[in-house]
Amino acid sequence: MRVLATVVDTSALAKVVLSSLLAGIGITAVFAVAILSATRFAEMRREGRMTEAVGFAALGITGLAVCTAAVVVGIVIMASK
Amino acid sequence: MHSDLLLVIVVGTALAFDFTNGFHDTANVVATSISTRALPPRLAVGMAALLNFVGAFISLQVAATVAKGIVEIDVVTPTIVFGGLIGATAWNITTWYFGLPSSSSHALIGGVVGATIAAHGTGAVIGDGLVGKVIVPALLAPTLAFVVAGLAILVTYALVARLRPGPTSRGFRFGQVASGGLLALSHGTNDAQKTMGVITLALIAHGDIAANNFHVPDWVVISAATAIALGTYVGGWRIIRTMGSRIIKMDPAQGFAAQTAGAAVILASSHYGFPLSTTHVIAGGVMGAGAAKRVSAVRWGVAGNIVLAWILTLPAAGLMGAAIYGLSRVFGTGALGPVLITATIIVGGGALFARRLSRRPAITPTEA
Repeated sequence: MRVLATVVDTSALAKVVLSSLLAGIGITAVFAVAILSATRFAEMRREGRMTEAVGFAALGITGLAVCTAAVVVGIVIMASK
Repeated sequence: MHSDLLLVIVVGTALAFDFTNGFHDTANVVATSISTRALPPRLAVGMAALLNFVGAFISLQVAATVAKGIVEIDVVTPTIVFGGLIGATAWNITTWYFGLPSSSSHALIGGVVGATIAAHGTGAVIGDGLVGKVIVPALLAPTLAFVVAGLAILVTYALVARLRPGPTSRGFRFGQVASGGLLALSHGTNDAQKTMGVITLALIAHGDIAANNFHVPDWVVISAATAIALGTYVGGWRIIRTMGSRIIKMDPAQGFAAQTAGAAVILASSHYGFPLSTTHVIAGGVMGAGAAKRVSAVRWGVAGNIVLAWILTLPAAGLMGAAIYGLSRVFGTGALGPVLITATIIVGGGALFARRLSRRPAITPTEA
């Protein structure tokens, strides 16, 4: 383990693992929530339940905004290397 | 005169490697989108080619880091670079022929290390650099992507389990266009720069650029971006087929999870200065997204062949690089060796390609 620590930046390695888990699982989950919200929004609107429909629309738009922001952050990371 | 000719050959070989890098790695970016029908094959590779081209202009900071910290840079000559490039290109073509996604970066590093050992012995190789920058990342990349994609698809399935499949699949296909685009941009940024770095090092060795004033000339940026984009557009359909449908039979949610996990791992590693191979990451992500649904959904025989190709990449490209360097030196230290080797490869490769075309059609986008 000590030998590995001399040739690998273990601190950077830990950050890579943690960030990858958070971003990879988080963004996929947020996008799934956006799809879930869009589907529920269509169902609620069909059934005339406008309050719930507006709530799901807001959740879906927020989810898409978060995913779009993640893409922008990705491009910023590329450009700042 | 001899050094001018050698420079021209090294630049041409570097661009040829860049082209193979493009068509070899197209699969990383488009295979999942094509497999889940998020995009038609030609549109997918066209978009990937364009974004690879644009990506090559985003940043030039890592162009100087090719093989840095892995071999003693001051002993690297144009003939060593030539041997390394031919070794890497040969390994890329070999793995493409067998439809195996292997790392073009590792092939380049392996080729240069092999040629360096042939020229100066193992003392010119920095062992710690090889372990820390190549071997540990090669173990980390697929494992991390496997875990991230696996967990991501489990969370996704839990969220969308009760939804109708039609709209859900359409939603994930839409998401794949964005995640695939991000992957294509990052691939162009990372991989085109390796070629830019190699050409710039050759220009420094030739005396066209001062060593203490490292900068990548515009014509190098444009030619490297064009070569990788053209290679991407040609599309390595054999590898696309392996990555898109032979490892697992993918649904759009799995495709999205694999691509997003891949993009997250690549960008996180890039941000913290721990570059990983795009190929290893995406292949690991595809396997993870499949195994999380059902372990038997992954064709482990295909996965095993891919891992074997990863293990063989460094030594195989290294042996080829060393052999090409040794062959060049038979004809002296000038340009004669590289000229003869290049001519032989062009003539032999052209004849093999023509024979192949006349016997059996290549894999088409539809078959992929």
